[in-house]
Amino acid sequence: MASRTSKTFLSLGRINIPLLGFNKSSGKVKYATALSINSSSGNKGEFHCHYKGIYAGEPRTGKMPVDQDWTAVYPAAAPFRPGSIPLPVRMGYPVKGGIPPEKKGNLELIKIPNFLHLTPAAIKKHCEALKPFCTEWPSALETDTKCDEHFPIKLESKEYVSAGPSLRNPSARIVHLRVKLSSLNLDDHARKKMIKLIGERYCKNTDVLTIKTDSCPLRQQNYDYAMYLLTVLYHESWKTEVWEAEKTVADMEDYSWEDSPSQKNILDVLLRMKVAGEGDGEEVRQQLLGRKDVQDYKDSVTRLKNEGESESSMLQYKEAVKKVFNM
Amino acid sequence: MASLMVRRRELFSLARILSGVSYLGPASLSVCSGHRKCNITRLHLPLTPSTSFHTTVLTSAAQSAITVTEEPDTLFQKLVVLVKGHDRAVLDSYEFFATMTAKELGISLGKVFEPPKDIERLTLLKSIHIFKKHRVQYEMRTHYRCIELHHITGCTAQVYLEYIQRNLPEGVAMEVTKTAMEKVPDHILEPMWKEIPTDDKPSQ
Repeated sequence: MASRTSKTFLSLGRINIPLLGFNKSSGKVKYATALSINSSSGNKGEFHCHYKGIYAGEPRTGKMPVDQDWTAVYPAAAPFRPGSIPLPVRMGYPVKGGIPPEKKGNLELIKIPNFLHLTPAAIKKHCEALKPFCTEWPSALETDTKCDEHFPIKLESKEYVSAGPSLRNPSARIVHLRVKLSSLNLDDHARKKMIKLIGERYCKNTDVLTIKTDSCPLRQQNYDYAMYLLTVLYHESWKTEVWEAEKTVADMEDYSWEDSPSQKNILDVLLRMKVAGEGDGEEVRQQLLGRKDVQDYKDSVTRLKNEGESESSMLQYKEAVKKVFNM
Repeated sequence: MASLMVRRRELFSLARILSGVSYLGPASLSVCSGHRKCNITRLHLPLTPSTSFHTTVLTSAAQSAITVTEEPDTLFQKLVVLVKGHDRAVLDSYEFFATMTAKELGISLGKVFEPPKDIERLTLLKSIHIFKKHRVQYEMRTHYRCIELHHITGCTAQVYLEYIQRNLPEGVAMEVTKTAMEKVPDHILEPMWKEIPTDDKPSQ
């Protein structure tokens, strides 16, 4: 009995094809199943379960009105039920010269996650219910610059959702704290000391300090630790220790022209050229320093040393030297 | 499923603190559909008719309004949701769902793009013993989708993320990167010793 019905189904499968082709070409949108053919396998037809002897009846799809509430058919995530979905879906690799198998008893359709419970109508309903729990973004903080001005500290953390033997992801405890040093209250000495203290964590181009904390097991603990580090750095950079007076020229962050070999050299050269006319003396040096071309020379040398060599800085240096030597 | 339970419990406790909605006991109902059991949180709202959700009606004594507490809301400058899966079609549908939800809830969407996929390939021996020349190759493809949201408050972020995560399909993983903004804390505005003139600078 079973083999006969299976052979009938197989034959059905094969016979179906030209019929379906016929349907398509005739332009009718017809809900096609194997229904269209057969009456040879028993008087009760398709809906007779051959091993249980039960008459199941027509699947629900035949009785669904067109304007039904789909959110009632699929209110939550559920596997694909061919009897509840009035669509002629086909899925799977076709046999040679054939078409993909139909939805009835199709494992491929059951395996793949479906979004039948998340149709646009359902999403709208859910969002309507969720709206009262949402809050508005403050209108004063429209642009990013305003956000940075009022809320300069940025805390970044990640959350992970995945299936596995455990819910927890140890990477979720990591916290990154980013803050621009210009938004903290630091004077000149404090800023330089802070940059020396933080070292690698400072990005010179964007003036951003990044503190990454992952030593504690919980995110809240890492956040507290990051804020603690920021507080300590801030207070330490405001303190001036006794040994900081021993800062040498090699420790300086920026090149300063005063008391540098470049200044001595230019003054010596100018004195030898006897530009001022008199002999050597402190006030003569001061007078020479006050001259505009010496100031220009100072600017160009400082720029070269701080910013590095480039077309414009070399040109500026050349112009300054020419002016000093009246060329 | 267990992860969703944890999140729901978190939402419950946090929701009680932040919004003061009173829930009746566990206040969840199961809808048995097919082989899977899903938990839907019943939201007590004065407006929603229960028939639209096709759920059983719980008798509630009084419908509580949503209260607002004084605790300041966190502000997220950026929220990046990265979903990973083996099937591109599933991620397409999920992206449609997530973007539509963001629009409905009024969240400003940034970029929605598809980072290039990763393919991990292995070459193994086909036979259990000898036949070194005959191998079989497998590959695992991981597709990604990235959705960026800007200027979102803590409450809205919680609501959106919980909704998105509850409806995450099987076989899809998610990674959320949150960038919160904060003011400079009060103890960093001025060095501590400036306010207390009598104290000397503590030398460490």
